[in-house]
Parts: sequence; C-alpha cells; structure tokens
Amino acid sequence: MRKALFLAAIMLATTSNYALASGKLIAVSWKTFQEERWKTDEAAIKAVVEAAGDKYISTDAQNSAQKQAADIEGLIAQKPDVIIVVAYDSDGILPSIKAIKDAGIKAISYDVQFEDPDSLYITFDNVGVGRLMAKTMLAHGKKEGNFAFIKGDKGDPNATFLFSGIQEVLKPEIDSGKIKVVCDTFTDGWKPDNAQKNMEQCLTANNNKVDAVISENDGMASGVVAALTAQGLAGSVPVTGQDGDKAALNRVALGTQLVSVWKDSRILGKEAGMAAVALADGKPVSSLKGVSTFSSGKKGVKMNAILLQPDPITKANLEDVIKAGWVTKAEVCAGVKAGAVKACD
Amino acid sequence: MATEKSLNAPGVQKEGPIRSFLRATELDTRILGMVGALLLIWCTFDILSGLVRPNDGLLGGSFLTPRNLWTLLVQTSSIAVMATGMVLVIVMRQIDLSVGSMLSMLAVAGAVVQVFQLGPWLGVGHPVIWIAGVVTCLIFGTLVGAFNGVLTAYLQIPSFIVTLGGLIAYSGIAFLLASGVTIAPMDRTFDIIGGGVPQSWLGPFWSWLLALLACGLIVLALINGRKQRRKFNFPLRPIWAEVALAAIGAVAVLGTTAVVNSYAWPFMLIKQYAQAHGVTIPPGVQNNDGDAICMAGDQVVRCTEGLIYYTGYSLPVLITLAVGAAMTFVATRTKFGRYIYAIGGNPEAAELAGINTRMVTVKVFALMGFLVGLSAIISSARLDAATNALGQSNELYVIAATVIGGTSLAGGVGTVYGALLGALLMQSIQSGMQLLNLPAAFQNIVVGTVLVLAVFVDQVYRRRVK
Repeated sequence: MRKALFLAAIMLATTSNYALASGKLIAVSWKTFQEERWKTDEAAIKAVVEAAGDKYISTDAQNSAQKQAADIEGLIAQKPDVIIVVAYDSDGILPSIKAIKDAGIKAISYDVQFEDPDSLYITFDNVGVGRLMAKTMLAHGKKEGNFAFIKGDKGDPNATFLFSGIQEVLKPEIDSGKIKVVCDTFTDGWKPDNAQKNMEQCLTANNNKVDAVISENDGMASGVVAALTAQGLAGSVPVTGQDGDKAALNRVALGTQLVSVWKDSRILGKEAGMAAVALADGKPVSSLKGVSTFSSGKKGVKMNAILLQPDPITKANLEDVIKAGWVTKAEVCAGVKAGAVKACD
Repeated sequence: MATEKSLNAPGVQKEGPIRSFLRATELDTRILGMVGALLLIWCTFDILSGLVRPNDGLLGGSFLTPRNLWTLLVQTSSIAVMATGMVLVIVMRQIDLSVGSMLSMLAVAGAVVQVFQLGPWLGVGHPVIWIAGVVTCLIFGTLVGAFNGVLTAYLQIPSFIVTLGGLIAYSGIAFLLASGVTIAPMDRTFDIIGGGVPQSWLGPFWSWLLALLACGLIVLALINGRKQRRKFNFPLRPIWAEVALAAIGAVAVLGTTAVVNSYAWPFMLIKQYAQAHGVTIPPGVQNNDGDAICMAGDQVVRCTEGLIYYTGYSLPVLITLAVGAAMTFVATRTKFGRYIYAIGGNPEAAELAGINTRMVTVKVFALMGFLVGLSAIISSARLDAATNALGQSNELYVIAATVIGGTSLAGGVGTVYGALLGALLMQSIQSGMQLLNLPAAFQNIVVGTVLVLAVFVDQVYRRRVK
C-alpha cells in the first residue's frame, strides 16, 4: 500500500502537464537551511515551479521568528501568487499568514503546521512517522521490556506529533506492563551530543537494563548508538530514527540501528510545487489530488491537507533508498560484511 | 599549585588552626570552596537519584558510582580542554565567542578529510586517515585562532566583535563543508581518542603507574619550589605544610585513580574481547548483579567471580589532564605566560615595558584555536560522527566554566586548574539532572543560575579579602 502510494506520487510528479501555467510567481519562506534536507526540498520545488514556466523566489529565516516575519513582508511586497511557508514558530507565524491572506495571496503550510483554516497543509504524516517507528519496533525489534524515549526539542510541534504516534501504538503494551518506560527525555535542539549524554545517563541510572530505544530522529540516534557502543550494547538494543540520513542508513545496514523512517523530501517538494502551481492558476484546493481534512493540530483547526506516507527503512528494504537514488550502495554498505545484508550483496 | 601570592598578609594576629593551616599551605581558599561545592553537589545528586531508583552509589544512588564518575570525566573533557585556553584569553582582557562554531567547523573538516577524501582513496582503516584527521583539526584550528588574533591585535577590531562574527560565520562554513550532512562513521583508530572503545582505556596497571609518577612529580615540584624560594630569599612554608600539600596532592591523585580503576568494562565488551582473543572464561555461578563473566555450563553469563577487566583512565581524560598540566606550566612558569597576566593586569604598562602585546595576543588566540581543534577531535571521536550541530553553544559553557573557575572578566586574574574544576562542576550539574531525568529546559535554568551565583559569591569573597 505504502509503496503503491509512493509510486503514484512519483508518477504524478513526472507525468503532470504544466503547459497551462506561465509567468506566475511562487514564493517560499524557509525557516532555515541549517539542516541538509531543506536544500533537497528547495531543489524539488524549484524544479516543478520552473518547469511550469513560473518564477521561484525564496527567503531564509535562519531559525528566527522575527526574521521570518520580516521575510514574509518582503515577499508580499513582491506580489507573488502563492507563498509556501515553512514556519519556524507555528503560532508566531499566524499574524504573517493573516497578512498574506489580506493581500489576496494563497498560503501553503509546508512540513510544519500552522493552524489556519484557509491554508493548505502539505506534509509527511508525522503522527504516522511515530506510529511507524513504534510498529517497526514491535514487529522487528522488541515487544516488551525497558524502553527509553529520546525525544526531540520540546518547542518543536513535530516532536509532539511524533510522540503521539508512538504513544498511540505503545500505550496498550505500556498499560499492560509489558513495556516499562525507564527514561523519557526531550533533547535540546535535537542535538546528537545531547542525546548521547542523555543516553549515557539513562544507561547509568538503569545499570544498562534498557531493551529498546525510541529515538525521534537519526541525528539523535547517532548519539544513542555511540552511547550503546561504549557499553557493548550496540546491535543488541534496537534503536529507531527518521530522516534517512546517510550515516543512519549505514547503521541500519550494520545492524546498530533498527529503522530509519524515510520521508523523501524530494516527493514532498514536488507535491508542494505542483499544488502551488495549481493554486496560482486559480484552481480550487479541492481539485488537488490526495487532499483530505486534517484537524489533529494543537488547536484542532480544520484545514485541507495533503498527507504523504513515509517509508520505514530496515535491513529488509534498504534497496528502496538505493534504487530511488537517495544514497549510493557504497555509502549504505560501507563496512558491512558480505552476506549480512541482502541490499549490499 | 600556584604560588603567586606573597606571604606577608596584613593584619595577621591571632588565628584559628584552620586559618593558620590555610595560610601556611597557601592553598587557594576559593578553589577549596569550589571543591566543597562540588562534593556537596555530588552527594545531593547521589541521594536524590537514590530516592528515584536505589543503586550502588556511596549514598545509595547512581551518582557516586565509579561508572558515573568515570563517565562524568569523559563528558567533561571537551569543554575542559577549551576552558584551559579560554582562561588565557579572558585573563588578557579578550573574549572568544567563536569556539563553539569553530568546533563544529573543525570537526566537520576533519571528518570530511577522513570519510570523503582519504577514505575512498586509501581504503577504509588506512593508518594515514586518522593521522590526517587529527592534523587537519589541529592545524586548521591554530590557523583560524591566529586569524581571530590578527584581526583583534593588528586591525584593532574588538575581540568580542571578531569572534561574534566568527560564531556566526564558522557555523555557516561548517554547514557548507558537509552540505549539512551528518558524517559518520569515523575512522576506527580515530574513535579511540573519544574514549568509547576498550583500546582507549589505560587499564589498572598503567593507571596506577601513571598515578605514582604524578605523585612523584608533585613531590619534585614542591622540593623545586622550595629551592627556588630559598634562592631568591622568599619566605618558606613550614616543612609540615609542605608535607601536608604533598599528602593532599597524593590523596587526590590516588583517590581518582582508585575510582577509575574500579569501573569494570561493560559485561558485553568483556565477552566480546574474550571471544575475539581466545581468553579462557572460568566456570562460575550466575549472578546478574556482578561485573565479571563466567561459564555456567556452555553459556557465558554475568557473575561476581570470574573474568573481569577494569577500565582505568580513558584517553580523553588523560588528554585533558595533560593539557591542564601543560597550560598551567605555560601560564605560571614561562615568559609568555607572565606576559599574558601582565597585559591583562595593565595593557598600557605592559606595552611600555616592552612586551609585544600584539604578537602575544595572536599567539594566545592561536593557542585557543589549537585547543578547540583538540576538543573537536575528542567530541567527534566520541560521537563517532561529525555534524554542524556538534559544539553549537559550547562557547557559553566554556566561558561559564572559566568564570565559575575564578577567572575575572576584568582581566589579569585566573587559573587553569580553576577552569578545569569549573568545567567539572557544570558537567556534574548537567549529568546529575539527566540522571534524575529532569527536562532540558530545567537544566538550563539551573546551570544559568549557578553561573551567576558563583560569580556573585566570588565577588563578595574578593571584596572581603580586600
């Protein structure tokens, strides 16, 4: 099912006809280019927009809510047709969104949700990512025992979305006592070295009696695995992650990480690019493919959303990322013994 | 120990035994206060963590266990190494805000060299790779530091601005160097520097040997110091005070060694090592609370009696101690060091006295850069990965550790060992709160409060002494 959706998304992206649109202006307000992935997103959006004959402009808020507000004012002044916003602060952005709408421009909430009933929300299903992490852990990792939760930054709504998905799947097991939560910490700034220290202290406090670690992303998983390695536990304690980082996919091949839930940001970018082009041409939101109603945000505001399904990458389906051209086989398989992983032979 | 102060303290009349002991031994009371605070913090965390989850700690918790103290030392090392350099920078009335971003940049540069450049070319595991990684970090670090110094000293841009620019710019370079990717895994040999693998653990024998050597050096230093004082007709400490100092030093060294030597290798690692090296595992009775391994039938299990290895000092901690000793020597025993304190005390006077203040400034910043390179090596080896997030906001912790350690932002005053203790104190608070599973936001509040409180107490103390 997931794969079918995935293929459909690619087909959609490659076969759509943009001949109608031309000369429209699509703007993006990025919250940051600090992490690797945003450049990938940008390239995908830009490609779709320019293929349709429209113009692409963008700003980088450099992780500052104030700068983003100023950025958006600047974008509005250039009279674009659509503004795609990757919000740094999902509440703080709302006045800027109102200004966008007041200027008669359409807004798209990209990856990070801001709750505005008139905007379109395009994202990978983050609650779904959490669910997938937990489900993969139960199916291929550990079903019971002492679990440690290494969560992301407290201020990021995605950390909470993820955790609600994780909780949803694990709650019955926790309630029945099969799973005992021994550590549960937020990690300042999603930083790997903080996650490493958190994990070291978690292992110390529990005398290494930790059976599984739910880490909310791959960067933190690198810190968790380093802490486990120092105790000789790497490989025997399953660790989750997300983002499809090259280093993490290598750990999946080496067996020190169980799963990296992969959200191909190129597909997300393509989807957003196509939606922006369509909206710029004056097409109604309801005419877009895959639109549903979403209301599980913090305030429960009902909005139109396109939710894409992520792909949990484990040892068994590592070839997915290689085939998609996300990473090379050499990068994934560095240091892997022959015959240990199918995708590496 | 520093011996900067004269013994002719004014107004000494009648004094109690403690005061006369302190005066005779010339121990720095502020440092004693810090050690006291450290012990108090440790005991508090041990008791609190014991309330949450009882463990084998001295007071029933998880904090005062060999394992936690051992980990604490490793966790402190990266910040501590940088703090020793920051002391000299701040003593000279300058500041370096760029160390955190510089650490990211250097770690990423070292990783790019190892993983992207040399790895594919020479083949993974080639011995040149880790050496190239280390050399890249150190040389690049020294150059960037010197660059900061030149801008400050010769172009007369305030160091606050130069390094604030560096703080912003270097993190950008770190991002570009690796296009934001997490680079991993590092070279296997390089990882040894991080202290996470058995090869980086000295073991009890060498740890004890090193400890004895250190004790010998303490005694030699005391004898030498006495000889020097006699030569220049300085007042001498009474013999009993010299003996007491030697005893205090020896107890500290041997005590620390005893602690790190009683932390056993993690059970799984003993098993892996024994199986890889064909060590025979003795038979025994299973006990899951033991640290050793033994054979019960044909199963390898945990037990109290059996095959066991102890870690001893780990490499990053040794590096930190060596850096601490070397920097103390530089600060107190070399012309360069005296120049730095002279400049910090009064820049104009130092310049008029013929000190090339600009050159000294460049050298101090270059030295700071070198130490950041060393920290970049330690932290990327420890994480077995390098990212542009590594080291972010470390400058705050480094400066805080230095200031908590008694270095005055007004310049001219500060000690290397104080900064080392400051770094240990801050990491103790953080590790302790992580052990209690307190949220990160709360940790930040406590660390910030401790910083301000420490400086306030220090100010009050200074005023009273005056």
